[in-house]
Amino acid sequence: MCDHHEEKFRIHTPDFDKLHRQLGRRDFLTKTSMGIGALALGTLLGNKLFSNASRLAAGNAAGDTEQEILKAIPHFAPKAKRVVYLFMAGGPSQFETFDYKPALDKLWGQNLPDSIRNGQRLTGMSSGQALLPVVPSAFKFNQHGESGAWISELLPYTAKVADDLCIIKSIHSEAINHDPAITFLQTGNQLPGRPSIGSWLSYGLGSDNENLPTFIVLVSKDAPKDQPLYARLWGNGFLPSEYQGVQFRSGVDPVLFLNNPEGYDGADRKEMLEYLSKLNQLQHNTYGDPEIEARIAQYEMAFRMQTSVPEVMDVKDELDEIFDLYGPGSRDSGTYAANCLLARKLLEKDVKFVQLYHQGWDHHGNLPGNMPRQCRSIDQATGALITDLKRRGLLEDTLVIWGGEFGRTVYSQGKLTPTDYGRDHHPRCFTMWMAGAGVKPGISFGETDDFSYNITKNPVHVHDFQATLLHLMGIDHERLTYKFQGRRFRLTDVEGKTVRDILT
Amino acid sequence: MILLDILTFSGRLHPLIVHLPIGFLLLATLFNLLSYTRKFAYLKQAVPITLLAGFASAVLACIFGYLLSLRGDYDADALNNHKLSGISLAAISGLLYFTTTSFFRKEIPVPRPLFSILLICMLALVSYCGHQGAGLTHGHDYLTMQVLLKQERPKPDRVEDALLFEDVIQPILQAKCVQCHRNGKNKGDLALEDIKSILKGGKNGPAIVPGNADSGELIRRVMLDEKHKDFMPADGKPPLTKNEVQLIRWWVSKGRAGMNKTIAVLGDSAILRPMVAQYLGLGAVEGKEPGEVTEHINPEIPLTADTSLINKLRNAGFKVRLMLKKPLMLDVTLPAGSGIKATACKSAILPLAKNIIWLNLSENGFTDGDLDFLTALINIEKLRLDRNPITDKINKQLIGLKHLEAVNLNATGITTSGVDELKKNAAIRRIYYWKTAAAQ
Repeated sequence: MCDHHEEKFRIHTPDFDKLHRQLGRRDFLTKTSMGIGALALGTLLGNKLFSNASRLAAGNAAGDTEQEILKAIPHFAPKAKRVVYLFMAGGPSQFETFDYKPALDKLWGQNLPDSIRNGQRLTGMSSGQALLPVVPSAFKFNQHGESGAWISELLPYTAKVADDLCIIKSIHSEAINHDPAITFLQTGNQLPGRPSIGSWLSYGLGSDNENLPTFIVLVSKDAPKDQPLYARLWGNGFLPSEYQGVQFRSGVDPVLFLNNPEGYDGADRKEMLEYLSKLNQLQHNTYGDPEIEARIAQYEMAFRMQTSVPEVMDVKDELDEIFDLYGPGSRDSGTYAANCLLARKLLEKDVKFVQLYHQGWDHHGNLPGNMPRQCRSIDQATGALITDLKRRGLLEDTLVIWGGEFGRTVYSQGKLTPTDYGRDHHPRCFTMWMAGAGVKPGISFGETDDFSYNITKNPVHVHDFQATLLHLMGIDHERLTYKFQGRRFRLTDVEGKTVRDILT
Repeated sequence: MILLDILTFSGRLHPLIVHLPIGFLLLATLFNLLSYTRKFAYLKQAVPITLLAGFASAVLACIFGYLLSLRGDYDADALNNHKLSGISLAAISGLLYFTTTSFFRKEIPVPRPLFSILLICMLALVSYCGHQGAGLTHGHDYLTMQVLLKQERPKPDRVEDALLFEDVIQPILQAKCVQCHRNGKNKGDLALEDIKSILKGGKNGPAIVPGNADSGELIRRVMLDEKHKDFMPADGKPPLTKNEVQLIRWWVSKGRAGMNKTIAVLGDSAILRPMVAQYLGLGAVEGKEPGEVTEHINPEIPLTADTSLINKLRNAGFKVRLMLKKPLMLDVTLPAGSGIKATACKSAILPLAKNIIWLNLSENGFTDGDLDFLTALINIEKLRLDRNPITDKINKQLIGLKHLEAVNLNATGITTSGVDELKKNAAIRRIYYWKTAAAQ
């Protein structure tokens, strides 16, 4: 290496001066507002610093700790330390899973009464139908556990853990199509561009394990890809990019570009990164762009992940009994079952937010044929995850969430025959469940009418669900904000009310 | 309706306008007295016009004052006194001005010393009238020797010592109700200054019914919807928070609206105790929105801790997560296989023992003897000791922990009898003993 590498970046070269003059309005504003931005960031990082004991311990005076305590975020004593969110993309039908509607049996094929529909908009897929024939579930329901929760025969393993679930039958959304609905549930807004729940938590609470990302995403490979998923669902939005979700893939390369390239042994990787970090720091001193800091953090994280990721992905220490518990798919990396098992391992390592996605729930037609297969692909592993977390004592401070982006209609989309029907999108009510830290186990919350079309008791809006989730993590959803383009944004926008009745 | 509103509005200007005659009349007297000196002799000619201004503003103040009195709700006697003295003051100042006019002086010349004496007497009337007026607005004990000599009750240091009425309920009423409901103002014929008048009630019946929190006008009105016409405090004054209403209800029902009762005498209540603590600023949750019922937080957790101790804990290799700032609640984790010696662990943890609410020591090779410091963690709620070579003897450490809610003893040497013994600690709700000899 030449000597001048040790020198500081020479700022007054003619080229650099030219570049400097070209600083646009936007850059200027970004740069000048950085002072305040950095302060705000510091406030929220209080807790992150807290967890990074090794980095801080050395030079930290008592005064700094005091400052950290002042700035750290918890607004309430948290009940949950980690979250695993099992996202059922596509909109699972509440009729064939949790919302038992025996009264529908007598109404098979009758038109949906206007008094129930009440002018609700329909999607373009069924709005042209002359008839909206009511169709009951083709599958039987039974009561399970001491709580006597009604659960469909399609979910026998979930039924076994019924007493651990808090089943919310009255979730309602505002969007009627997949993209806006899933974006709404994940980011609190129907339009893309806002940070995902996991990013907000990561930003607000920081990491409990500096060797792994705070927000990890796993997408099932064994699901029909009927509706697409896209990385912005776990994106950081306007938050610094180090808070985005990191997707772990199946196969040899769980995190893309993490492995050393062929022919390079990685021996001087650390040294290289230190130089790179120095250069980036110089750049940061000049421009003050927060994205440079984010980049430095990401390089460091990637370096640590070169060891931590292979370690956590390795399942050879798991006993056969565990694989049997999670089901046959669990030995095949990338399936929903394997992802559930991996999620448990990540949670054990104190990863704060693990999000699984399982597509294929969009049953507009042939629901009786598709639904059993779809339920089978998630049921055993979901039940196993609860069982496994519970016996390990992790359900104590881990919150498990299961649900899709909306529900499905009581009427059949397309032709109704004695053996076949489909269901269209229905945002006015659907079922989700939560289990674990801080949530009352073995209860059913909220009620819908006989058609599961309207909510009759205890509605829970998507923003209410999000507010409750943040509350369990110790955050007041009204106080976790980020200023962007002149406005303070929050996950729940200007709404949301913590659902206190389901909290322990 | 609009006309009435203008009148009401003008009435409210009275407390502002009254200061004009006070100032002018004081100034007229001052000029008059100063004019005896040679240096200020020229001020003599300013006296009549100042008096005239005083007279005019006094008349205005009387009119506005009359409009204000129409809104009622004042003590009739005090109001009458003030009204009479105010009107006579205006009349006297007018008369005195009249004596300075050339028309009057031609008929009856007033000797100069007599005029000065009359002015001073008028000032006495100003003071009397002003005091009466102030009494109407601020209460008759606002500016008395009693107030000066009254002793503040010292704020209690512990929730147990607090007297429910004296330390909690009375300050609430004082802050939110007494401005209108007190002797001398008596809106709705109700005064809430002391226990006697509270029990007496107002024109719509008793304010509270001891022992019954669901009847009584006071409780009914503060719990109405804010838009309801009977809602109190009226006129958009700051309403009582949910906590305050709860406390008052508790005092009425459980405390039978009595005095000299401590929280302890009234029996503990999981929800109300922290509310009292919060109200008194003892072990309170900071930054809580008003009106929000507080979550139950163990009041024995110290509010703060020496932050250098947290640094020491970190330097020892622990991960410290802040659960709450005030009281300072910590979630402490020792990474699995840290290799830390038990003595080092003990000395790092002990100074913060009362602040540690969650503790995770799993997979660190600790034995029963190593963990003899656990008894000091009196506020701990969740404890993980899984995958450590401990046995039933660990129960000795855990049995006395009053707040311990969940213990993780997975993959340890615990046995069925150990688990049964541990269940004797009534606080413990969940024990995990997977992969142990204990029967599942």
